[in-house]
Amino acid sequence: MIVRSLQLTDFRNYSTLHLALGSGVHALTGDNAQGKTNLVEALVVLSTMKSFRGVANDAVVRKDAASAFLRADIVHDDLREFLVEIELKSAGRSVAQVNRKRVTRTRDLLSVLRTTVFTPDDRNLVHGAASLRRSLLDDAVVSLDPARQDTINELERVLRQRNALLKESGYRPSASTFDALDAWDEKLAAVGDEVGRARAELIQELLPLAQSSYRALVGDECSLLLAYDAPWREAGLACALRESREDDLRRGSSTVGPHRDDMVVSLDDFASRTQGSHGEQHSLGLALRMAVHHLVSQRWGTPPLVVLDDVLSALDNKRASALFERLLSALPYRQVLVTSAHPLPASPRITHWLEVVAGTISSCTQDEQ
Amino acid sequence: MQAMIDSLARLPGVGPKSAQRIAFHLLKSDVEEVKKLTNAIQEARGSVRFCDRCFNFSETTYCHLCTDERRDTSVLCVVEESRDVVALEKTGQFRGRYHVLLGAINPLEGTGPEHLKVRELLLRLEPEGVQEVILCLNPNTEGDVTAMYLARLLKPLGVKVTQLAMGLPVGGDLEYADEVTLGRALMGRREVGE
Ligand SMILES: [Zn+2]
Repeated sequence: MIVRSLQLTDFRNYSTLHLALGSGVHALTGDNAQGKTNLVEALVVLSTMKSFRGVANDAVVRKDAASAFLRADIVHDDLREFLVEIELKSAGRSVAQVNRKRVTRTRDLLSVLRTTVFTPDDRNLVHGAASLRRSLLDDAVVSLDPARQDTINELERVLRQRNALLKESGYRPSASTFDALDAWDEKLAAVGDEVGRARAELIQELLPLAQSSYRALVGDECSLLLAYDAPWREAGLACALRESREDDLRRGSSTVGPHRDDMVVSLDDFASRTQGSHGEQHSLGLALRMAVHHLVSQRWGTPPLVVLDDVLSALDNKRASALFERLLSALPYRQVLVTSAHPLPASPRITHWLEVVAGTISSCTQDEQ
Repeated sequence: MQAMIDSLARLPGVGPKSAQRIAFHLLKSDVEEVKKLTNAIQEARGSVRFCDRCFNFSETTYCHLCTDERRDTSVLCVVEESRDVVALEKTGQFRGRYHVLLGAINPLEGTGPEHLKVRELLLRLEPEGVQEVILCLNPNTEGDVTAMYLARLLKPLGVKVTQLAMGLPVGGDLEYADEVTLGRALMGRREVGE
């Protein structure tokens, strides 16, 4: 799967952009705030209909414009061609089309374009909040089986509804509140068990891939383990909800369930979240994302577009060069985009050199960057 | 003028932009045309009410479906809104009676079971000799939970509780399903919890 061209109109700081891309590794350099990450964001929107920055449409539409237009020309390994077009309206609903046909679900875009984005935030993946690891897992579940998006969305909806009910019923719930709560619990148990099962299966599949990825990054043998931390799964969610009901009513929110789960990452029997060094945590974060990339590549028979967004900038030349080589030799890829504010290591892997200045992108040679 | 736009924008499916467009259109239209429209709205609103038995729209105390003697009173189909009755009637597959809840359980919008016509549903079962209740709610989160709530209430009363077969587009409204799909889902209904 390869993005052959990308067109942006009134998206962030791009008034108009027409960028041709090829297979291989593209180096995109430029000072900060020139539009490197905006370009990455555009690719993610084309693949999932939403920004990974989690912002509303009016933040991505260029000032004074009513809509932003994103368009990508994509060709799959079997030579099928796809045109993905998205209009993000600053007010109102976004419109997405694949080959001129309107689509409304993320799954329709994900089956055309998949991306694996490495960002500097990956270093927080291991020591940061549990919600980061849940997102990693849930995004991976959806990338592997786009139909699961409905389940993930429904879990969120059920929790919002159940919490609203818990909050409004306060200390003295009526009999009809209890009956309604029974129904919400039945629904939450069904959806929650499904999400729990999907995450548990995913972690099983990720483990060997995370181990080999970590080994490829750091070079030495060590025992990396992943464990799904979901205490409610032992007796099932229906049972756990019954037990926590009093607590839930008192607090006015749902205290057990998949929305509180975590994935424990440990290295040589030490929990990396609390006991790992910064360097270890960073490598583990990268290894987790690499493992997802491997799994998605296997599942679809072709690797997602790989983006290394600003991942090398914080490292000195020698270490940046080493990480770059290790990542790219360990990852299956057909098309890669590497962004950096600093000159990138001279690597024979890099096939295209691009430079971004104030929302325009031009080809350059390696020496010019 | 702003009051008119605000009122229009509160209608279902009308956003602020469409409200503005409709308002400008009405202001440009012939005065007689506008009068015709407002009269039609007022007349309909004044004469149409809810059926005293099933809460479907009706111009009389009981709606035409409740007074139709040929309909089977032993099977009752529970729906969220009157528009669902219209959708189900179009399939031509159902000869029983209806009960309109006037909504679904939705805590975020402040709708609990006590705001729906649930008590009225329970009161119909014995006098009308209802043997089967078909839960025909929208295939979305709130519809599912309302069905689960009703099933828990109805089953202990000894009435057969069924729901539509799978196959409806998930996350949507009943009214968007085509007649053939809806008819098939109705014929293939199965008992809840089996
Ligand atoms: Zn009636």
